[in-house]
Amino acid sequence: MNFKSDINNDIKFLAKSEIRLKILSELYKQPNNVRGIVKKTKITYSSVSSNIGKLEKNNHIQKINKRYHISPMAEVYLKSLMDFKNSMDLVSDYDAFWDNHNLNQLSIDSVKSITDLKNCALIEATPTEIFKTHNTIKQQMVTSKSVKAVFPYLHPEYPKLIERVLENNGTVELIIPQSIFQELFFKINGDIRRPAVKSKKLRVFKFKDELNLYLSICDENIGLGLFKNDGSFDQNRILVSNDEQSGKWAEKLFEHVKHQVI
Amino acid sequence: MTSTETREQINKEFSGIKYILTSGMRSRLLLAIYDGPKNLDDLRNVLKKPSATILHGLKELENNNLIKKVNKQYELTSNGYLITVNMVKLVENWYAVNKSKAFWNNHDLSDIPDDVLKNVYLLKDAEYIHSTTSDLSNAFNSYLKLISKAKTLKIILPIYSEKHLKHLVKLLDENKLENLELTIDREILNSMKSNADLKKSLVENEKVKIKITKQKVRLFLTISEEFMSLTLFFKDGHYDDSQILIAKDENALTWAFGLINHY
Repeated sequence: MNFKSDINNDIKFLAKSEIRLKILSELYKQPNNVRGIVKKTKITYSSVSSNIGKLEKNNHIQKINKRYHISPMAEVYLKSLMDFKNSMDLVSDYDAFWDNHNLNQLSIDSVKSITDLKNCALIEATPTEIFKTHNTIKQQMVTSKSVKAVFPYLHPEYPKLIERVLENNGTVELIIPQSIFQELFFKINGDIRRPAVKSKKLRVFKFKDELNLYLSICDENIGLGLFKNDGSFDQNRILVSNDEQSGKWAEKLFEHVKHQVI
Repeated sequence: MTSTETREQINKEFSGIKYILTSGMRSRLLLAIYDGPKNLDDLRNVLKKPSATILHGLKELENNNLIKKVNKQYELTSNGYLITVNMVKLVENWYAVNKSKAFWNNHDLSDIPDDVLKNVYLLKDAEYIHSTTSDLSNAFNSYLKLISKAKTLKIILPIYSEKHLKHLVKLLDENKLENLELTIDREILNSMKSNADLKKSLVENEKVKIKITKQKVRLFLTISEEFMSLTLFFKDGHYDDSQILIAKDENALTWAFGLINHY
């Protein structure tokens, strides 16, 4: 773990100065001269000029034809720092969602790529709409052709929802705790269930241990829900997202959980 | 003076990362606790700092809801866990780039998408090989050695080089190479087609699958079951065959697949 403290100085050099980061972000967008940067960032000339000097000395930027260019390596540094910044923003913006919640079911890879969720939205139940989270999920599911989901608990509406997707000739892939299997599986209308199982349009995997995660992947959206540290599911909050990146993130997480089924 | 408004706005934008990354004490405490819950004694041993300093840092992290004290042990909160994992990733990204500084700093990275570039930590065990004045083809020879053992190769090939293609044809003819997937642009395909030998032995070979990219891709990526290798272009648009990045671990292969799947 020795390399960590070594590199910290270099990371610190950039992280310490918001002005340097701002200058690098500008130069990443396009090469520029001092005056141009001053105009874009509204930072004073003297401040830009002195920090340009420091960045140049550290090989983060180079002067080519009167303009400063960000070096390829500094570009990686900057993107990496921005990614870290985005991860911190994601944590603080949705503090209520993460704080005091159990993250054990998330793979380390999904935590490392948590910024894939950066365009998500938090859906919270309100006193006038206490079932808002469930209703949101329900809406996503009934209009979807393909549904993949990790259901950690049994909601009385699940069987009907699954039937509806199957009736529309969709496919459903579920991961559920062994303990609710009987209860959920056989509540699905047999006339719909049996042919669907046969044609692999319905696949249900049993998870042996506790399942501390809610995840749904529909055609257009994904939904993510967590358990609180006290062991109860947080029914009042889900993160939803509809971009491609979050879709891929959710697929990977789904596969990760699927690897652990019986 | 930079106006207070501008300054405040910029400060606000980056205050979070500054808080974590510029304090050696805070970042080291998070890393130490991330390795496993620890009490004050453990932390003093790991960090080699006086209790007062450590307690001060712990208090700050606790106030920011990044760590919590449970039965005299400090552990990460869920927020602390998310942030620390991502901080480790940042540090590893930095490390991976620094390790092959000359490689990353000399080349045009614009065809490596952001999502792939920000996971460059996956290449932290990669080795960077460069040609020297005494051995001008060191990088190329290392490459030949690697592909000679492969059964399957997936290649983003951005250059029309008979030197490279000749070797691939040879491997196919000798039946060492069973599957070859080439990702190339139209211009390279046309060049290959205009050479009768290559047309027959590559373009029309059933062991070869060709994927056409819409634009030119300025990176040379090779993936087999066993290794990945990457060579790049200079900023001025010229291909650089003197420097190659090679890795044989699973993380690097994951990274390479992320890159090839993008095209």
